[in-house]
This record gives sequence, structure tokens and C-alpha cells, in this order.
Amino acid sequence: MPDTARSIELEILRYLPESGHEPWYQVYEVPFEDDWSVLQGLQFIKDDLDSTLSFRWSCRMAICGSCGLMIDGVPRLGCRTFLRNYYPRRVRITALQHFPIERDLVIVADDFIDKLKRAKPWLIPKQARALADGEYLQSPAELAHYRQFSTCINCLLCYAACPQYGLDAEFAGPGILALLHRYNADSRDGGREQRMDLGHSDAGFWGCTAVAYCSEVCPKEVDPANAINQNKMGSAIDYLLRFVRPRGSGE
Amino acid sequence: MSARIEPGRTDPRRPWRRSMRGWWHRNPYYLRYLAMEATSILIALYALILLLGLWRLTEGEAAWAAWLAMLKSPVSLALHAILLPVFAFHSYSWFRIMPKTLPAIEWRGKRLKQTTITALGIAAAVAVNLALLLLLAGVQP
Repeated sequence: MPDTARSIELEILRYLPESGHEPWYQVYEVPFEDDWSVLQGLQFIKDDLDSTLSFRWSCRMAICGSCGLMIDGVPRLGCRTFLRNYYPRRVRITALQHFPIERDLVIVADDFIDKLKRAKPWLIPKQARALADGEYLQSPAELAHYRQFSTCINCLLCYAACPQYGLDAEFAGPGILALLHRYNADSRDGGREQRMDLGHSDAGFWGCTAVAYCSEVCPKEVDPANAINQNKMGSAIDYLLRFVRPRGSGE
Repeated sequence: MSARIEPGRTDPRRPWRRSMRGWWHRNPYYLRYLAMEATSILIALYALILLLGLWRLTEGEAAWAAWLAMLKSPVSLALHAILLPVFAFHSYSWFRIMPKTLPAIEWRGKRLKQTTITALGIAAAVAVNLALLLLLAGVQP
């Protein structure tokens, strides 16, 4: 029990599939201390008030990307959002927007995982090297070229922020396309051609309409909107070049 | 909201899919985005008015003078009073998005901030418009 006289109301969207009921809002009164995160509030409910509440969490320090939630309608990590910032108002907490709800605050991320593989988010070396050749060297400038886009923790806040992902079932979404760009921008990588089938398609860069809210909510400052939209110019040039390139040039 | 529960299904998983209806008023950010998109309709409309002027110019002096007179009518002036802030907002919204469309730009070993890129874009637009206005003022008889 926290050592405090303050308590805050958490209004949580519940969904228990086995009950046969539609989702409903349930309000819990949670005593809290100044340094309590929303995640700690949920853990208090689970431990002391209602053990049937389900939510995902792991590291509680903004690294694992598990505790993404809609907090008062804004996609946020539960572990780095503080209850004191909402007190004395009631806070509404729901599962991440644009994903089906598995149970309470737990979403179904299958669609993201399936699409993630299509971006080939791993290094595809330009040239195979023998172990004896040593490591792949990279300068600080080459690292700076992609580093920002490599800090993604797959928390899916950008997906909950992106209305295009909610409206268009084919769209790969901000996080995956930022990862696609991250590997393309890596000086050690030679897999660009393999990734661009997705990148150039309507499910790729062109599925983005530059709402750019993804970049606002990203807890790691990846800026997916920048990763996606800086590729549109190259993608357009690539498309137009098809008409002037000699046939059978093999490109 | 609608459930995706198939009849006779034994799998206890019943993912609940939420509707996208009314998504645009869930967040002020989406409203601003739609305002940016909606103003482009008026931009397209104004492009048609300018194209009309070009066409009237090919029709001879009388037609051109009539088009100019039409622009000076009270209805046209009222329309311009509305269109000016719409154009200003539309321009601002695109300069705000401009840094998202560019790769990182380095200046003296440091990465240019996105707000700097936006400010540079707006400054360039203001300068070009002022230069155009001064040029037109000089050309006037």
C-alpha cells in the first residue's frame, strides 16, 4: 500500500472474451505516490484490487516496448507516464488504438509481426566475408546516418498514432518502414533491392499520407515520418526512370 | 465497435476490432492534418481561376480586361480575403512537414534542426512573395 493520502481514478476499458460481453469501462480508485507511473497504478489494481485485469509489461524503464497504452487518448508507454500529471482528473486507459483487443489492455500484434518480416529487418551484407577478414568497419559518420532509426523498441505507439494504419489493412505502418530505412541506410548493408518491393509499393512509403503524429508519440525519437517521407523522392525518381531506362538493362 | 466472433468457433480467442468511424476527431493532431488536406481543395480551385485568366488572355484584350474586372468584383475580393489566410495556413503546414521529407542536413558539422528547416522555408516564401510584390509595384504605370 503506498504511503499517501492521494488517490486517482483510473477508467479502464475491460474486455473479457470468454464473458461474451462487449468491452466496458471500469473505474478503479488507486492510491498513488508522486513517483508512480501509470504502469505502477495498473500493477496496484492487479495485486490489490482486481486480479482479473490483464496488461503487458516487462522492463518498466522504456526499453522493452511492452506497456504501450492509450492514456487519455494519447499513445504512451505506461512506464514513463506519471499519474501525478493527471491528478486530480480521472484518467482513461484503453488498449492501443488500431489493433484488435485480445483481452483488456492486451492487443493482438500478429499483423505487425507478419508485416515486419517483409521489410527484412536484418543486415544483408554487401559482400560475404570470411571470419579471417575481420569485422565490417564503419565510420562514426556512417553510423550517424542510420543510428536514430535503429533505436526503435517496437512498442507500437506509432501504429496507434497512425490513422492510415487503422484505415488501410495493407499498409506496413511507420515502425516497419523506419526499420526498412534503417537497414537501407546502413553502409554495411546490400539488401536495398530486396526491401524496395515493399518500400515502393502502396503498402510502403506511398501508404503514408504524412500525418506525422507517429513521430510525435515515439518515445525513442526515431522519427518514422522522416524515415518514410525522405524515401518518397527517391521512390518517385525510381518509378519515372523505368520509362526512360532501356529495356532489358537488367536494372 | 463490432466483434469478430465466428459461429461455432471453439477457439477461446475472440479479438475485438474497433471501428475507425469518426477517427479524425479523436485527436487535435488529426484535425490539423485534415485541415491541411482540406485547404488543398481551395488551392486547386484558385489554380483553376488563374488558368481561366490565362485562357482569357489568349482570347484577346477585351476578354482579359473582363477577367481582371471580375477579379475586382466585391464577391471576388471577399473570396480573396478568405483565401489569403487559407493559403497562409496551407503554406505553413507544408513547411512544417518539409523537414520530414528531407534526409538529415549537416551545417558546420551539426545536424540542422527540423524547426530551423521549417523557419528557412517560411523565410524563403516570405522573401519571394515580397520580391514579387515589389516587382509588381515597380511595373505598375
